[in-house]
Amino acid sequence: MVRIKSRYLLCEINVTDKSRLLLLDDRAVMTAVRTAVARIHGDYGAAQCIIGVSVKYMNAHTGMVFLRFPKRCYKLLWSALPFITCMETRGQKIPCFLNCLHVGGTIRTCQKFLIRYNTQQLHRLLPKCKNEDEKHVRTALLKCLLPGETRETSAEEADSEEDEVV
Amino acid sequence: MKGVSTQKKSTGYQRVVLKNSAPVLENESTRLSAVEFKQFIITGLKILYGEVGAALTFDVLKYDEDSRTAFLRVPSRGLVKLWSSLTLLGSYQDQACAFRILQVSPFLLALTGNSRELQLD
Repeated sequence: MVRIKSRYLLCEINVTDKSRLLLLDDRAVMTAVRTAVARIHGDYGAAQCIIGVSVKYMNAHTGMVFLRFPKRCYKLLWSALPFITCMETRGQKIPCFLNCLHVGGTIRTCQKFLIRYNTQQLHRLLPKCKNEDEKHVRTALLKCLLPGETRETSAEEADSEEDEVV
Repeated sequence: MKGVSTQKKSTGYQRVVLKNSAPVLENESTRLSAVEFKQFIITGLKILYGEVGAALTFDVLKYDEDSRTAFLRVPSRGLVKLWSSLTLLGSYQDQACAFRILQVSPFLLALTGNSRELQLD
């Protein structure tokens, strides 16, 4: 048995104005990618973009996107992504750029990476909490368990974090 | 093509010279200067391969306006791109045209004669 192989790119959409991120949808991302590829790689690139290219997942709140490219030409399509400077949706132009975080062969590995990445970001941001409410949220978050993580390790981590706070 | 690719491995950089009969135009009276000729090829590259293709370096070594024949020099890594875009160039200023590649060689001197036209007894 042979399966069709593809590459999944986990990209982060960076916008200057966070509130406008919610306006974006997967169709806007798809058009932006298509136009960028057509501009950079011409008709040849646009033709590669027709089959097997799609936006698999889009989280407008965090700005995370899963892009699916065919394996044989993903490097070509990937090279056009940095040239995206704005996305158009509902008649509005949103200046933004794509930041590629991970390239994986399956959605599963990408999802795993995304969870790990978000945990790292959380650990980076939580020590910066200032007022009581934020600290409350932090302790609540630290008690949470990630899928695939054992109770002991996460508990230890939570304890150590709490020790630092106290 | 096979010979070209094997030699590329040994030298790293390899130039390929195409002896190229430029647009066979519908209207024979249309004249094309060397600059227009190169611009035309670059446009073709840009249509097919976009801005990346338009950045491909190639030189017009010699251009003959009357016969519309030119010598093009291109690094071997860009040969396929250039050749395919020449093939797909179909019109110049709304009139049909076509490119004929007469000879391709990694050496300029090899273009002095065409081995395909040799008369062997």
